[in-house]
Amino acid sequence: MRLLYAEALKVRTAPRTLIGLVLGLVALAALGAGSTASGVHRSPLGEENTVWDVLTVATTAVIFALILGILIVTWEYRHGTVTQTFLATPQRERVMTAKYGISGATGAVLGGLSVLVVVVTMLFWVSFNLTSAQWQLIGRIIFAAALWGILGAGLGALLQSQVGAIVTTFVWFLVAEPLIGVRFDHFADYLPGGALDRLTARGPVEGIQEGPSGAAYGLWAAALIAVAYSVGFAVLGAASALWRDVS
Amino acid sequence: MIEVEHLTKRYGKTVAVDDLTFRVTPGRITGFLGPNGAGKTTTLKAILALVRPTSGTTRVLGKHYRDLDEPTRKVGAVLETSRYHPGRSGRNHLRVLAAQAGIPRARVEEVLELVAMSRDAKRRVGGYSLGMRQRLGLAAALLGDPELLILDEPANGLDPAGIRWLRDLLRSLSSRGRTILVSSHVLAEVEQIADEVVIIHRGRFVTQSTTAELAARAAAGVRVRSPQADRLRDLLTKAGMNVVVMDGGALGVSDGTPERVGELAAANGIVLHELAAEKATLEEAFLELTGGETTT
Repeated sequence: MRLLYAEALKVRTAPRTLIGLVLGLVALAALGAGSTASGVHRSPLGEENTVWDVLTVATTAVIFALILGILIVTWEYRHGTVTQTFLATPQRERVMTAKYGISGATGAVLGGLSVLVVVVTMLFWVSFNLTSAQWQLIGRIIFAAALWGILGAGLGALLQSQVGAIVTTFVWFLVAEPLIGVRFDHFADYLPGGALDRLTARGPVEGIQEGPSGAAYGLWAAALIAVAYSVGFAVLGAASALWRDVS
Repeated sequence: MIEVEHLTKRYGKTVAVDDLTFRVTPGRITGFLGPNGAGKTTTLKAILALVRPTSGTTRVLGKHYRDLDEPTRKVGAVLETSRYHPGRSGRNHLRVLAAQAGIPRARVEEVLELVAMSRDAKRRVGGYSLGMRQRLGLAAALLGDPELLILDEPANGLDPAGIRWLRDLLRSLSSRGRTILVSSHVLAEVEQIADEVVIIHRGRFVTQSTTAELAARAAAGVRVRSPQADRLRDLLTKAGMNVVVMDGGALGVSDGTPERVGELAAANGIVLHELAAEKATLEEAFLELTGGETTT
């Protein structure tokens, strides 16, 4: 508990990074939601479909959660504070557990914030009532953001380098996975990005076929795969933090 | 207090610490000395469980550091690598550490006062001078009011006033029964405060003794200047002393006392312009032990 509080304090007392991330997310989410809802990309398929489109914009939070997770671990290595952290708590697995807890929590908060921003933005153009399926999507987005926060922290602990971890992330999601997707269609569904797409997939609208067609598995499987990735990276990251010398 | 037994640490093919064994006595200030790259920091990190030894064991207060209950309240450490998140203020840095160790916030203000940093505690650490960072590091080490302090090169980056302040602080902590292990590559920094010294070189143990013993071990010498330097030199050499010509034509005599040199000169009618006992410095003893070259 004490460690969780200390980790939360670390995040809170690094205001510039935090403000930067939050502002970036708010701006992106508001812009995306605004342009979708105001009609530039407004779906001709009716209000319900527009609401789905706008909610999907909130998925942006996942990448921010991932970056914050990376930062929560790597800034300790980058700024050398990891020495003092491990001196105060030499049981490194406890430190890592607290970091994963905070990364998950801040991820969920970013997810929630992002949903809030898109919903509020949408109010300017569309009148709507969220259906239960749409509420479920909101839950899935927040859940995914929490998982990706933990994954980021695990990746950060594995690589220790802030720039390295962030570059790896972008190269993976923007280059590697799409390329793999082109070559091996269904295999790519099982990669982290594929699982994330499934987990945050929008629901069907009456009369139209669902968006990502022919996915290899359903929602529960997607959740399971996403959890497996985040736990996997968390375990690898913790093992790496435990084994490596602090230089 | 601190026990290091057959500690060896290899990084690839490089041997940083080689079968090192020593103990630190409670209640004293022990200087941990060696030239740069001697393995001091690696040894301290192994003691503090930051580095995994290749072989050998280290114990602090009878236990491995990892097994200490509430380590912050027992051991305070300032390592050369103690660094900070530049965006955090000095006070917040300490608050984070206090939170982690379950130490009340009021103690943060106390240690800030102790290291004379209260005024700058609100500023971002990114704007601190090296000396201020060292003070903040010390403040962090003192948070838990520990009985053992481990300081790695704490005088680095301090100006003369800062070094004096540090010395006074360590003395006052020592007088209150704290055990202090302080590393340095400059003997002069610790010779005034250390009761005991452990010297290592190239990762190996060289010697452990009290500071007084080490000083006594350094060979004393005589400095003598004379217009008849050549004659005097022959005489002294014949008398079995070792003579070297120093800068400015003075002679440096080892294995002799000023009395003997003076008597010999008088008996042979040699005029002396200067005759002085060269105080052997610990620095020379240190350099001799670690195979360095003396500058005199």
